[in-house]
Amino acid sequence: MSKSVGASDARSALTAVEYSRQQVIAEIDMPRWYWLGLAAGWIGIGVIADVGPGWLFAAATLAFGATHAAVAQNVLSGRRRSSALSVRAELVGTRVPALVIGLLVGLSVLTVVAALLIDADGADHPATIAGVMAAIAVALGGPELMAAVRRRALRNAAR
Amino acid sequence: MSAEPQFDELIHPSTRLSIVALLAAADWVDFAFVRDSLGLSDSALSKQFATLEGADYIAIERPLADRRRRVHVRLTDTGRSAFEGHVAALREIVASVDG
Repeated sequence: MSKSVGASDARSALTAVEYSRQQVIAEIDMPRWYWLGLAAGWIGIGVIADVGPGWLFAAATLAFGATHAAVAQNVLSGRRRSSALSVRAELVGTRVPALVIGLLVGLSVLTVVAALLIDADGADHPATIAGVMAAIAVALGGPELMAAVRRRALRNAAR
Repeated sequence: MSAEPQFDELIHPSTRLSIVALLAAADWVDFAFVRDSLGLSDSALSKQFATLEGADYIAIERPLADRRRRVHVRLTDTGRSAFEGHVAALREIVASVDG
């Protein structure tokens, strides 16, 4: 049968293969609840830092970190946005967890710096304000980061 | 993908090729995702799966932990090898014309 398959048919078949691959790559992402949970946690810790005692802030920060560590190991790879499929690791690449952790560490540093600057400016509730800013950055930047990962996966797949 | 070109008549029909290509990009795929992605009915997809399963190209699994009666489908090593060989054969056909 292969002898009877023309170049046009073969080209159409390869296009179908590529389209299917793109459908799977479109599923590379992290669950929306992950980003929203992070944003909510960031605001919550900011509020506690402003109005709660020091021990509660320390406990909340530890609890937040522990919860994130427990949850993130299932979603950080970007291969399981939903329960519909698991994208092959070779399509996603191995850098996604490092990228996300890097984003979170960078935002943590920026949150502290922003809170100190806002406090120096004399505003009330500096940690809450800085937390809200970081939460917005996480809620918007997280999905954007994953969109960049998908674009990169598409470029790699096309090579 | 650097497999030996090997045209596979079982995979080549367009619907089956799309199914296998979808599975090849994933560790496993839920039945409903394949059905919805390709716009097939349950029965049409089941028929295609039966053919592929009969050739040992796919494995159909029902995760015990999942209460929603999900069905996971994955490409077997045999299926992946056949798919990669088929894609290599298709590329060879195109290349032979393009020069």
